[in-house]
Amino acid sequence: MKKNNLLTTCAIVAMAIMSTAASAETLIVASPQVPEGFDGDALKAHTQNVVVQTYENLVVYGKKMVNGRMVNDPSTVEPHLAESWKISEDGKTWVFTLKKGIKSPFGNELTADDVEWSWSKSFAQKRTGNFIARVSNVVGVKALSKYDVEFTLSAPSSIFLKALTLYVPGIYDSTETKKHATGDDPWALKWMQSNTAGFGAYHLDSLKPDDQAVYVANKNYFGGAVYFDKVIYKEVPSEASRVTLLKTGQVHLIERPSIQKVVDLQDDSNVRVDRASGRSIASARMNPKCKPFDDVRVRQAFNYAVDKNALNDAVFAGQADIAKSVVPPIVDGYNPNHFKYDYNPAKAKALLAEAGFPNGITEPIELLYADAFWHQEPIAIQIADMLKKVGVAVQPTRITTSEMRAKGSPKEMSMCFFTWEDGPIVLDPVYTMYLISHSKGVSNRSAYSNPRVDELIDMSREELDADKRLAMMDEAQKLWVEDAPWILTTYPATFEAMNPKVTGWVHYPDEHERWRELTMN
Amino acid sequence: MNLTSFLIRRAFMVIPLLVGVVFFTFMLVRVGGLDPVGLLAGPTATAEEFTMIRAELGLDQPLWKQFLIYAGNVIQGDLGESWLSNRPVLDDIAARAVISLELLFWGVGIGTFVGVPIGLRAAFNPNGRFDQSARILSLFGFSIPTYWLGLVMLFVFFYLLRWAPPGMGRISLMISSPDFVTGSYFIDSLVAGDWKAAHSSLSHLILPVTCLAIVSAAPIIKQTRAIALEVLSSDAVRYARACGLKPKTVRKIVFRNSATPVLTFIGTEITGLVGTMSLIEYVFAWGGLGQYGLNAIVRGDFTAVQGYVLVLALFSVLVFLIVDIVVAMIEPRIELN
Repeated sequence: MKKNNLLTTCAIVAMAIMSTAASAETLIVASPQVPEGFDGDALKAHTQNVVVQTYENLVVYGKKMVNGRMVNDPSTVEPHLAESWKISEDGKTWVFTLKKGIKSPFGNELTADDVEWSWSKSFAQKRTGNFIARVSNVVGVKALSKYDVEFTLSAPSSIFLKALTLYVPGIYDSTETKKHATGDDPWALKWMQSNTAGFGAYHLDSLKPDDQAVYVANKNYFGGAVYFDKVIYKEVPSEASRVTLLKTGQVHLIERPSIQKVVDLQDDSNVRVDRASGRSIASARMNPKCKPFDDVRVRQAFNYAVDKNALNDAVFAGQADIAKSVVPPIVDGYNPNHFKYDYNPAKAKALLAEAGFPNGITEPIELLYADAFWHQEPIAIQIADMLKKVGVAVQPTRITTSEMRAKGSPKEMSMCFFTWEDGPIVLDPVYTMYLISHSKGVSNRSAYSNPRVDELIDMSREELDADKRLAMMDEAQKLWVEDAPWILTTYPATFEAMNPKVTGWVHYPDEHERWRELTMN
Repeated sequence: MNLTSFLIRRAFMVIPLLVGVVFFTFMLVRVGGLDPVGLLAGPTATAEEFTMIRAELGLDQPLWKQFLIYAGNVIQGDLGESWLSNRPVLDDIAARAVISLELLFWGVGIGTFVGVPIGLRAAFNPNGRFDQSARILSLFGFSIPTYWLGLVMLFVFFYLLRWAPPGMGRISLMISSPDFVTGSYFIDSLVAGDWKAAHSSLSHLILPVTCLAIVSAAPIIKQTRAIALEVLSSDAVRYARACGLKPKTVRKIVFRNSATPVLTFIGTEITGLVGTMSLIEYVFAWGGLGQYGLNAIVRGDFTAVQGYVLVLALFSVLVFLIVDIVVAMIEPRIELN
């Protein structure tokens, strides 16, 4: 009797205690991880998601309406922090004039010195910002006057202007950052691990590692008032939990749910799922330095052996786009017409026989996958299964993501056959191919090398005539398809799941929404 | 032997253990194929960047040299810096230790408070109705995967019934956390007199604590029952019954005699529950040491993993030490030695 009363009392007390309400004035984002750093040059977990909110660029892509929604138009570039720019005759000197009166949350005005300091920081760190500078041929940045800043290029670059829309090199309020520089740390990198000082719409207010980061709107923002005064970026490691929180209205936005969750969320009226064509390519890559991939016929055979529609249905619930080029569809210059590897197992077998494998390949080939992308494993399993049907034994093998990154790094490239996803964050065909298909490209990962493709890319990087450039990239795409260094599968679409009252989401090539554009009904 | 000399002797025994732990963890993470350089370098890293980062992290040195540097630092109390967050590992762990301890304390506390009486009662009427139900309950607690249990509880009590708060950390988003006193939001808000925060943090505690209580109670029920059964068939109890002592007195004797093995068992269980707790923290976004350790392991943050394992080893040592001392206090036949 006593025990029953005790239990009942406990239950009642427990229920009385449990009750909370969530406010809807602030934007609440649930993410797998709180950002661990705010320096775009030294990316840590989820740094990229948040630096784009606090640091904004000299220029941005234009916008246009497509099928009733606003999208970024990669063929146009518009002023943002800069109001205008002039290019010299030889294309090697660009002078940007900054808009006047742009202020940071600290009250400091944007001047050319800030731009010079920021680029000097990237040059000094020799990390991602430096890479972008190299890709765009930038060798020097100098402040000419209070609002004029000069970029010096080693050669004309067709990528430069678009590269300025990237999250790095960021433009910092150097008046503030210099206060935190020390002898050992001239660029205030330590301070930047938990602080921000930009001219963007938001500013980091507080940071609790493993818990949440809170941002407040920049009261001096040059773009005017933004809807959300506060953004709480909450760490919720479990995806199932994040989905539950979204469905119950406890959070407004979750980033990039996996496809099973997407299908589930699409059916839920409490959630809106927005889709945009992705800019990256899921694929299985073959390293020509490994046997049997040194023979192009084997690589082509593998392409013929994979039924991409079936793969799309099995892995992506039919929601991805079939890939037909290493340049994704939202980049101009995309040409699917060179692609010829429709599903044809008979042809696959014939090619294998020609290459000296009339009875297929019985010695199992390892197909490596990791968990950097949710689809790596299912794609590996599908491909292994399809290749089995043409007599090729494949063994899907898991390794850690960090291992895969290391083994795919430019100086190692030791994996023979593996699944991965890559895509350009500058929506430019030259940038795309330079990143992925150039023998020195940092996202090559599989030691693909074709001297003619390299030559075309190198020439295009300096070719300012758009038509000539596109023609060269077209030829490069054709050669790439012939070489078949990858089993192209799909362009996974980007899905963002949010509360139906949140509007204004536009897809960006870096896959991160811009909070300043969001509003709530 | 008195307490001080016991502690000193115990400390000496523990040192080789800790050295071994540090050594093995250090070697395992480096030999196991984890490579954080790729993660740190980022998607656009060139070959030079990889080399530069590798040198920064000291990974280009020979293994034995890396170990000596690390061990030297550990002795001075410096557990190194996390490569992924650039914060000192010791600070990170210290901040989170209390968060996990709070969960562990309440969870195992309730599990014990509920499990021991059930186990005892089941032993007194073996194969009776109570015993059968207790065994089924215990089997249930054993077989359920913790991760799944946490998610199901969230689903039922939050999503369906809205009785519990969302699994989003230790306190409601809209309430600011209390000033730091102990690190436990609940205790700190009580100290500060902030009733709203106390209410919120308590409500957030309920589901994860219940989850941990269920998972920890199951083995406690089973083991207590087994121990009590053994004690019940011992000579002491047979003699007590033969002497005609009241059943209540006999129960007291059984309880006293079972206390030592049960306590020892609970101590062992606590050290084993750390892994389970990581999963609970993960599901409820608790932000404690378990979540930190999980993240570090998955992303190859060597120094953080090493620090985490070392702290866990120290914690186990501490738990066993406390159990030994408590047992010596309640059991007059055992001396500390």
